Amino acid sequence: MSDTSETFTLVITGAPYSSQAPQTALGFAKAAIDAGHSIDRIFLYGDGVHLASALCTPPSDETRWPQEWADFLEQHSIPGIACIASALRRGLVNDTEQKRYQLPAANLLHPFEIAGLGEWVEGRMTSTRTLYFHAGG
Amino acid sequence: MSSFDTLHILNKSPEHPRAAQCLALLSKGDALLLTENGVLLLSAGRLPAVGKVFALSPDVSARGLGNPVGDVTVVEFGDMVSLSLQAQRVISW
Amino acid sequence: MSTLIMIDQPPYGSWSGREALDMAFSLAAFDQPASLLFTGAGVTWLKRAQDTAGIAQKSVERNLSAAPIFGIEAILADRSACQKYGLDESSLITGVTLVDANGALLEQYDHTAFAG
Repeated sequence: MSDTSETFTLVITGAPYSSQAPQTALGFAKAAIDAGHSIDRIFLYGDGVHLASALCTPPSDETRWPQEWADFLEQHSIPGIACIASALRRGLVNDTEQKRYQLPAANLLHPFEIAGLGEWVEGRMTSTRTLYFHAGG
Repeated sequence: MSSFDTLHILNKSPEHPRAAQCLALLSKGDALLLTENGVLLLSAGRLPAVGKVFALSPDVSARGLGNPVGDVTVVEFGDMVSLSLQAQRVISW
Repeated sequence: MSTLIMIDQPPYGSWSGREALDMAFSLAAFDQPASLLFTGAGVTWLKRAQDTAGIAQKSVERNLSAAPIFGIEAILADRSACQKYGLDESSLITGVTLVDANGALLEQYDHTAFAG
């Protein structure tokens, strides 16, 4: 345990199943909580928004990263926010956006939310550290 | 009280242009943490001459690079958390 | 808290540069100091006379020229990368400052980020 408790904002820009970013970010997030720190919020940006899809269906012997993340967020009451511009471009929508754009379905996994880049700016201003988890390569 | 000026987190393989960019920018007083494909730098034998080098244990093991030689410290996710707080700033490449 | 947004990907072939620009604009909208640094192939964002009619994408040249109006503090480009891609003052858009992208430059910012 650390002497002081710090806050982190984690930005994930790499998609599950095309990058390791969501796994590395989850390993970091769990370690931060274990060390007595807190996670202010998770912000999904660019291809990272695919992590919030309720429709990811990997083969049964592979980890379901969206579900792993959703469980972690719920367990620790951490907001998970997908950038609205990134999300809409890539076909990730909640009920509100489905109605607004008259789309055939909504696919945002609970408890993820959709909001603007302001959430990233705010997280960055209020957290001790903001870390980015990009696609590798 | 910061132990490092900048913590550079590199998750790109040594062939990636951003790996070269990151290594070129390393300064004395910085730390380099290799994660994901970044740990392949350990086998490519091109560890930087300046700064302190760390490598993330699960990624090192996954790529069959256990017990790497050279001036590198293999760390866990908990250490990654402390390293990020010990540096004045963190750059994820 | 000053932020440096780095762009090392060329325009059009991927969206990450555009999304980097959105990050910078968003910081500026919240009155947070933000600058852009173009490095590597990313400096080709700054080339004059980009005609995107044939690829059905908006020209990033117009996006970038709006940067000062939206409160972006500086548009920086790595000098050696500009040389590599044949960019000089006559071929660069206006308002670009040539710098050496090195450790000393990054130390001037509290926060440095890529969009992806």
